[in-house]
Amino acid sequence: MIDPAVAVTGATKIFSTPWRRRSVVAVRELNLKVSAGQIYGLLGPNGSGKSTTLKIILGLISPTKGRVKIFGRDSRETISREGVGFLPENPYFYKYLTGSETLRFYGKLCGMQGARLASRVDELLELVGLTSAGDRRLSGYSKGMLQRIGLAQAIVQEPKLVVLDEPTAGVDPAGAREIRDLILSLKQRGITVLLSSHLLEQVQEICDRVGILANGTLVREGGLQDLLAIENRTDLVFENASPQLLSEIESLATQSGARLIEQSRSRTSLERLFLDVTQSRSEHRSKSPHE
Amino acid sequence: MNKSTYLHLSFARIAAITGNTFTELTRLKTFYVILLFSLLLIGNSVFMAQLTFQQEFQVLKDISLGSISIFSSLLAVVSTARLLPQDLEDRTIYTILAKPVARLEYLLGKLGGVLLLLAVSMIIMSLLFLFVLHLREEIVLRETMRQMSSAPPEQLAEAVRVVRDAGASVNLYPGIGIIYLKACLLAALTLFVSTFATTTIFTTIVMVFVYLIGHLQSIAREYWLQTNGIGWFSQAFLAFVTSFFPDLQLFNLIDDIVVGNVIPPTLLMKTVILGFFYTSFYLLLAWTVFYRREL
Repeated sequence: MIDPAVAVTGATKIFSTPWRRRSVVAVRELNLKVSAGQIYGLLGPNGSGKSTTLKIILGLISPTKGRVKIFGRDSRETISREGVGFLPENPYFYKYLTGSETLRFYGKLCGMQGARLASRVDELLELVGLTSAGDRRLSGYSKGMLQRIGLAQAIVQEPKLVVLDEPTAGVDPAGAREIRDLILSLKQRGITVLLSSHLLEQVQEICDRVGILANGTLVREGGLQDLLAIENRTDLVFENASPQLLSEIESLATQSGARLIEQSRSRTSLERLFLDVTQSRSEHRSKSPHE
Repeated sequence: MNKSTYLHLSFARIAAITGNTFTELTRLKTFYVILLFSLLLIGNSVFMAQLTFQQEFQVLKDISLGSISIFSSLLAVVSTARLLPQDLEDRTIYTILAKPVARLEYLLGKLGGVLLLLAVSMIIMSLLFLFVLHLREEIVLRETMRQMSSAPPEQLAEAVRVVRDAGASVNLYPGIGIIYLKACLLAALTLFVSTFATTTIFTTIVMVFVYLIGHLQSIAREYWLQTNGIGWFSQAFLAFVTSFFPDLQLFNLIDDIVVGNVIPPTLLMKTVILGFFYTSFYLLLAWTVFYRREL
């Protein structure tokens, strides 16, 4: 039997305040399973326990109760993290290092060295689109570039599981889209991705399965399509449908006892509109440099 | 935690963290300010006494070795105090410990970086000190030979020997080594304090008190023993204080070296062992606290 990438069983995390006067339950009786090869989204409002859950999974903090396994190994064992990459929320890397040096440093921590590490660094810089900025210090990187170098360090040792805490936090829509595409490319390589986010639209676009946390409790969990489907409703999308055809369909539906709830023109998303407009503008500029 | 967690330490991982920490510390302005002040003090010590050459050499050694001792201690505390809080604040510690890096490896790497920085700065300070001392010695020798050019060869040889004895001697090297050990001990102790402290400033303030207590405790101990006798309570209490506040006066061999006394090998060995013991002990304490710390 293949071990799941992540298996959290009955995990509870209680933080005690100084002198143990009060305690805060950050995560309560959490059961979670992430199968290998999936993109799993952990959703929830601020303070719902998403980051605590990720830290427990990574062995950075210990659960007060319950256990966590990564590919069958206890997450508190250092060795369990050999196949794991992590990008924390709003990370600051060592500013005095260049992009290449950063990746070399993290590669060495994973036991890589020599020609293998050098070629992996070049490969990763190309993957995240930072080849030309590889020799620049991170102090000169933009927020989006830092997120991309962060993602590159997370996958430096070609891990089987990548954990991303709010991977697009503070990044503009174009940068967020690039990160989204990178996450999808990880899935295509067979890498399991566990990410936390409160950007629902993005999660909806890329996740196979989601779990929703509220006040430290997993309130809903399942495949994205199953969770979002409304059992007694059906969407039909037409192109070039005349008003007459639409009226006929409506009367047909009424005759059969169905009720038309909504009829509207299809809309693009704000993100799509933003990207179309900004990309066409930048393409226009690059074609006419004297403008 | 599984046994393999701490039994299979990787030298490559520790070296990577050591190298990175060393780079981080050499980018700090504090390092250059401290180094510059110490070099200025050592360089200027040559102008501070002009009576007899013995007195001049004594003052030069006293000021230079004192500067090396104070500035290396200061560097050890200041550079170590910021390492953990900074990594926690920037969240870089998460990216490191989320890799297959044991917490002991992380601590060893961080401490290694500080010890490397201390070694480099001590080499620079010592080279300047020895250069200045050698320079003065050569000037005094030339002057002595000029003044005694008509003296019998035996008398001249004796005068040269006296100058050589008062100048640079091999006795200085173990003294410098002991100063380095003291700085290592302070770095390890600072690392321990920073594992439970939340800010750099807290760690630094605690270490200032530890430094003062460490230097004054031998006097306090003598007074305590005189007034309370050597009962079991006194012994237990003193053992406790000595464990957590190292007797830094034991590492103060400068006074003997300055006056030209040779440090007995047994005393040197004892001091070296004590230095290694304290450094390892505080590292172990740091690991014990950091191992359980929730990040």
